[in-house]
Amino acid sequence: MKKILFGVVLGLFQLTNAQENAPSPVRVYGGFESNGQWYTNDKGLRINSPEDPLRSNNYLFVNTGYKNWTAGVQVEAYEDQALLNYNPKYKNTNLATYFVQFKGKKVDVTGGYFYDQFGSGLLYRSWEDRALGINNALCGARIIYKPTDFISFKSIAGRQRTGFGLSKGFIAGGDLDFKLTDFFSFKTSDLSVGLTFVLRNEPIENIVDPVFSPLVHASGVRVNFSHNSFYSSAEFNLKSDDAVVQVNQLRPKFVKPGSALLVNLGYSKKGFGIDGSFRRMENMGFFSERLANGNIFNDRIVNFIPSLTKQHHSNLANIYPYQAQPNVFINFENGKGIGKAGEIGGQIDLFYNFKKGTALGGKYGTKLAVNFSNWNALSGNFYAPLFDYETDFFAFGKRYFSDINVDFIKKWSPTWQSELTWIHQYYDKNLIVNINSGTEIIQTQIVAAESTHRFGKDQSVRWVAEHMWANADKKNWASATLEYNLNSKWSLYTTDLYNYGNSDRLQRNHYYNAGAAFRHKTTRIAMSYGRQRGGLICVGGVCREVPESSGVSLSLNTSF
Amino acid sequence: MQIKQIKFYSKHNNLFICIPYLNTMKIFQLALLLLLSPVFAQKQLPNLSLPNLEGTALSLTQDFVEKDKVYVFSFWATWCTPCIQELDEMNELQDEWKKLVNLEIIAVSTDDSRTQKRVKPLVSGKDWSFRVLLDTNQDFKRAMTIVNIPYTIVVKNQVIVHIQNGYVPGNEKDLFDKIKSL
Repeated sequence: MKKILFGVVLGLFQLTNAQENAPSPVRVYGGFESNGQWYTNDKGLRINSPEDPLRSNNYLFVNTGYKNWTAGVQVEAYEDQALLNYNPKYKNTNLATYFVQFKGKKVDVTGGYFYDQFGSGLLYRSWEDRALGINNALCGARIIYKPTDFISFKSIAGRQRTGFGLSKGFIAGGDLDFKLTDFFSFKTSDLSVGLTFVLRNEPIENIVDPVFSPLVHASGVRVNFSHNSFYSSAEFNLKSDDAVVQVNQLRPKFVKPGSALLVNLGYSKKGFGIDGSFRRMENMGFFSERLANGNIFNDRIVNFIPSLTKQHHSNLANIYPYQAQPNVFINFENGKGIGKAGEIGGQIDLFYNFKKGTALGGKYGTKLAVNFSNWNALSGNFYAPLFDYETDFFAFGKRYFSDINVDFIKKWSPTWQSELTWIHQYYDKNLIVNINSGTEIIQTQIVAAESTHRFGKDQSVRWVAEHMWANADKKNWASATLEYNLNSKWSLYTTDLYNYGNSDRLQRNHYYNAGAAFRHKTTRIAMSYGRQRGGLICVGGVCREVPESSGVSLSLNTSF
Repeated sequence: MQIKQIKFYSKHNNLFICIPYLNTMKIFQLALLLLLSPVFAQKQLPNLSLPNLEGTALSLTQDFVEKDKVYVFSFWATWCTPCIQELDEMNELQDEWKKLVNLEIIAVSTDDSRTQKRVKPLVSGKDWSFRVLLDTNQDFKRAMTIVNIPYTIVVKNQVIVHIQNGYVPGNEKDLFDKIKSL
């Protein structure tokens, strides 16, 4: 295998080199990413460095293409270990994924590992997110068939990647997309419908006479419609009965179906846009192995359930991020308790551009963004000793989370721009993270101000000042960031988050960081020293818990 | 590399062959591949079609081929502040640029289904006049092996002539200097 691989690489090398002046028929391309950290002891935070304090996650992705064919491999190295709180299944250096794809005019066939999604992903999505340690590529085959411009059919089958191995559950599915606009030759409207079907088979082990099936099937229907400035979409999904898993425990007699409804409406014209989403989900956690439900590494996850809230770029607004609540959780102790079967809620976004030359627009224009989101538990009856529940379809239970925020961007001159943000959040920690002791509802007010000043040929300074008032948990925080871009290649930055309001004086920590970044063409190298605040790191509404840490980090990415 | 174990999953109703365990590939082998890598810079856009905001699929290899026209593909997302800053700047400057060079800026949204519905109102609300492509499954981003956005690719006569990884204020001037020199 080693010889074959090197033979292939060498062969490609010669092929591409032999024809330096003529475009080569063989394309070779890829990328490399490395994120390393040297964890140190930190007396101030009272933490010791973990075993193997020098750790790194490395990814090498090499593809080759010839005419309609593409093939690729991804090698990953976690040396000496993966970064803190990554899935321990990511271990050492190994071949991670590979694929061969043929792409014709009507048919597109992939064998090996592939990434895809059906509809909005509520029933099936395979994707990679290295920052979160998610890679649930399916290993198997995918066929996409487009007989005409208005019909597209996808079929998939395989097993999910988990660490460097494969999940025990088998996944198969199909998705049909039909563009009625092209079919009926509409001029000003757009109409399309889609149908999705996904099944998962995982053999049942160690349960006598199970009352649930190894096979779970899920199906969905969706429609998209737009007319002039108005657009809308709706999607409804059903998932068949499966045993409920809570806190890594499978309840063999607690068998429930799942459902999800997603509706979106929007209107936009020049200088103005508004969009609203509504979603109701019940028992929609979907994993290729039942017992993986709710695992903290997002491992073996079949569908994509992002939290539909605004992803803030302010440091302090990410201390209490909402995570979507698709799962069932029933726990009653001491007469108090939690009964959850999903979530219901929505969000509204508004964007507006104050024209130049108007009172608010000024000489260089002002931009406004407003966002509101609110998420509640499903209302219903929960029976703790029996492990059962019934829910109402359109009724709101206890509130999990809400967020209202307003953001202004104002350009004062060609070299000076400012941004002002106000955020209010409501976060029911007990209900979201499933603890039923105490009542800790956290309400926050956050104000962030930022300015960018340009000078010289290509230099700039950016500063950000933030403050958060919180009534509970770790209470008040302040934060500041200063960034200096020396030229188009070099940047320096320093930032600090200070939990000055913590009721526990010993926990009033600074989380400081200072670093430099260098960029040239396709390469970016960054180095920093400082402290990592413990908590959730969220990307695209999916989160990973990280512990507090301290040390030096080095990251590099390049493509070729 | 040696194959330690090949698993055939046919008995578990899966007919596909997957090889989960290859033994350790040493760091120097990775380094060797890396050292070879600058030899092969990616020169062409991948053979992909992506929908625009109206749902019409556009082919990267067939719909961006006007002779001597410069196409600037800027990868962004609704949650990426520097990306939006870059596109805001380019939106202001593009009329001036177009007087000097035949060019078009294309904003490639990498938003997934969490934020994809925010793309259309944001583009309208910001009054951007770019064509927008939706890379929802991130096929384009993956084919270009992009790790971080913002990320900007300049294409002329179907050849990738320049890449800019990241954005800080002022980069748009360097980018245009580069475009003028093509």
